Amino acid sequence: MNLLEIKNIKKSFGDLEVLKDISISVAEGEVVSILGPSGSGKSTLLRCATMLETMDSGSLIYCGENAATDVNGKSVYAPKKDLKRIQNYFGLVFQNFNLFPHYTVLKNITDAPVHVQKRDKEEVEKEAMALLKQMGIEDKFDYYPSQLSGGQQQRVAIARALAMNPKLLFFDEPTSALDPELTSEILRVLRDLAAEKMTMVIVTHEIEFARNVSDRVIFMDEGYIVEQGAPEKVIDNPDNDRVRAFLAKIK
Amino acid sequence: MKKALAIILAVVMIITAVPMLLAGCGSESKKLVVGFDSEFPPYGYKDDNGEYTGFDLEVAEAVCKELGWELVKQPIDWNSKDMELNSGTIDCIWNGFTIQGREDDYTFSKPYVDNSQVVVVKKGSDIKSLGDLKGKVVAVQDDSSALEALTGEDATDANKKLCASFKELQKLADYNNALMNLDAGSVDAVCMDIGVASYNIKNNADKYTQLSDIISTEQYGIGFKKGNTELKDTVEGALDKVVESGKFTELAEKYELQDAVCLGK
Amino acid sequence: MKKRPVIAVFVFAALLVPALFASCSGISGSDVNWFMGVVYQLSNGMWASLLLFGCTILFSMPLGLLVCFARRSRFKVIELITKFYISIMRGTPLMLQLLVVYFAPYYIFKISLSSEYRTYAAIIGFALNYAAYFAEIYRSGIEAVPKGHHEAAKVLGYSKSQTFIKIVFPQMVRHTLPPVTNEIITLVKDTSLAFAIAYIDMFKIAKELSAQQSNIMPLFVAGLFYYIFNFVVSFVMGKIEKRAKRYE
Repeated sequence: MNLLEIKNIKKSFGDLEVLKDISISVAEGEVVSILGPSGSGKSTLLRCATMLETMDSGSLIYCGENAATDVNGKSVYAPKKDLKRIQNYFGLVFQNFNLFPHYTVLKNITDAPVHVQKRDKEEVEKEAMALLKQMGIEDKFDYYPSQLSGGQQQRVAIARALAMNPKLLFFDEPTSALDPELTSEILRVLRDLAAEKMTMVIVTHEIEFARNVSDRVIFMDEGYIVEQGAPEKVIDNPDNDRVRAFLAKIK
Repeated sequence: MKKALAIILAVVMIITAVPMLLAGCGSESKKLVVGFDSEFPPYGYKDDNGEYTGFDLEVAEAVCKELGWELVKQPIDWNSKDMELNSGTIDCIWNGFTIQGREDDYTFSKPYVDNSQVVVVKKGSDIKSLGDLKGKVVAVQDDSSALEALTGEDATDANKKLCASFKELQKLADYNNALMNLDAGSVDAVCMDIGVASYNIKNNADKYTQLSDIISTEQYGIGFKKGNTELKDTVEGALDKVVESGKFTELAEKYELQDAVCLGK
Repeated sequence: MKKRPVIAVFVFAALLVPALFASCSGISGSDVNWFMGVVYQLSNGMWASLLLFGCTILFSMPLGLLVCFARRSRFKVIELITKFYISIMRGTPLMLQLLVVYFAPYYIFKISLSSEYRTYAAIIGFALNYAAYFAEIYRSGIEAVPKGHHEAAKVLGYSKSQTFIKIVFPQMVRHTLPPVTNEIITLVKDTSLAFAIAYIDMFKIAKELSAQQSNIMPLFVAGLFYYIFNFVVSFVMGKIEKRAKRYE
């Protein structure tokens, strides 16, 4: 069964049609990268998938449960109670981390599992410390986010998302707010996660990053998916002219 | 959180409602609420013990004793006196309150003090008569009898001419402020009630002196809400008894107003 | 610990100013009784000022939050009404508002007023006025919280109220401490406006003493009271601010 199914999503802001009929499915354990020039709609797609934005039409299905169903060309969302449960299936790591500045690293990670998922505090803290160790920053557990580097903050943000035990993790340009030398830190973390069979959807504009980490690459332009397939195929030998042009410009 | 907000809102509403209810009932024993300016010695002021006292308040006390009423001394902002009186928060203004010029706005008792408006200058000033005020800065209390005597509708032609000769007529919030201005030299003279002038000159004989020329003579009465003759008659009746008993004259002497009072003579 | 001498200097300076004026106006330094008498009488008035100050803070700060919510309401009508309320409160003199609160029940509803209502009216008037200012301060504080924090909270499954209480409110408090301190200091001094409706506060008593003694000094002693009061307020708020800043 696919963890995520997006069918025929359309989304407009005013007169501007940003997503024009997009369908994607993501299988368990798969790592999918979404590439594309700015304005291609890749961020909007991610925001629709994580329900930060409501879509105009199309359906959204997590683990076989409908978050939104297409009824006569209009997206109808499930009741709030169901959405709350579905929300637990996925996590999101933001471009600019969005850690809560008034909480310590540990509290940033444990607060939602304890107060939203109502799990045992001690158990969650033990898990959080293990996650921090995995990220290589266990000594920073009582620091405030402002005392950490960008790379460290992003690792805390990833740990925060993982602590909710999601089945699928979204990344929105996880390295674009970081210095180039810090990108490799995050890349290593993502590869470790991929090795553990974590399902991930990564929106990025870093070609090398996408090639190194993903099983499949989706290329978007002007609200459409123009090409998708294995990274070697899409990045090194694309069929589509626009993909070729974009890649040439980047390189 | 929502609950806490709801509780706070409820408390605010209750606190708002209580005084409205209190306003409705209350006042079992008869009270006379006298409004006065507590910065107006010797008629109404704070004594050394922090109690409100003064000639007017002591007479009011005697009047209430005569009637078996309770006296409530309510200091008020002089600018709000009409609102206070009309809304019933005070029953009368009893505070060296000049009758002349206000006859149409209040129901007055008969006059009990004959008060003149005089000019106070610094001791040793070269101002010796009203004529010397020409080209000088003169201060008065805002909304006071002195101001009325100089610029009001009923001002005499002589006073209007006198006022026109000033360099400037400054209206200040209270007498103390005016005297501070006099000290500081920002005004050259202050026009005020003779009683207030005597009190301040007595306290600061080395600083102030009073011109022998007088701007106007006027009378003090007790001011009631226009049309409230019932209360006026009751209070006036009791005042007569206080005068007959000699208490009124006794109090006038205590406050050195024996020359100014016009009852009991 | 290092701060102690600094405080001493401030207090000393505050005491020195009226002392200098005292010596100029010819009152000998030995006249301690006079000074203590003035301080005693003013301290009686201080309770009235403190009551007004305390109640205003107690009611206006939560009320301001409520007004702030209404101001940010999705319903246009509520938003407009709140906007109007805030503009009136900020755009007209506090003294006039006090007069309206006190006298409106009589002039509009013909309810005769009790004298006790003065205290309530002063507190209501001040609370309504300061709530408007606090609401705008809170609003700026809430809007200073990045949109991303709301989104992060949503994705983590926080409910709307959890997001406000756990994420937005603490950051808002941090952002708004300096302007809130300003308002509180202004309030300490504004309490003297309550005499417009004959609420006898400390400054009124100072004016009375001044008139009775034909002497300006009680006003300076009152100034000293206000200064010390505000010094304490600044000190306490400074401590709170320092605590709130620890995560920066």
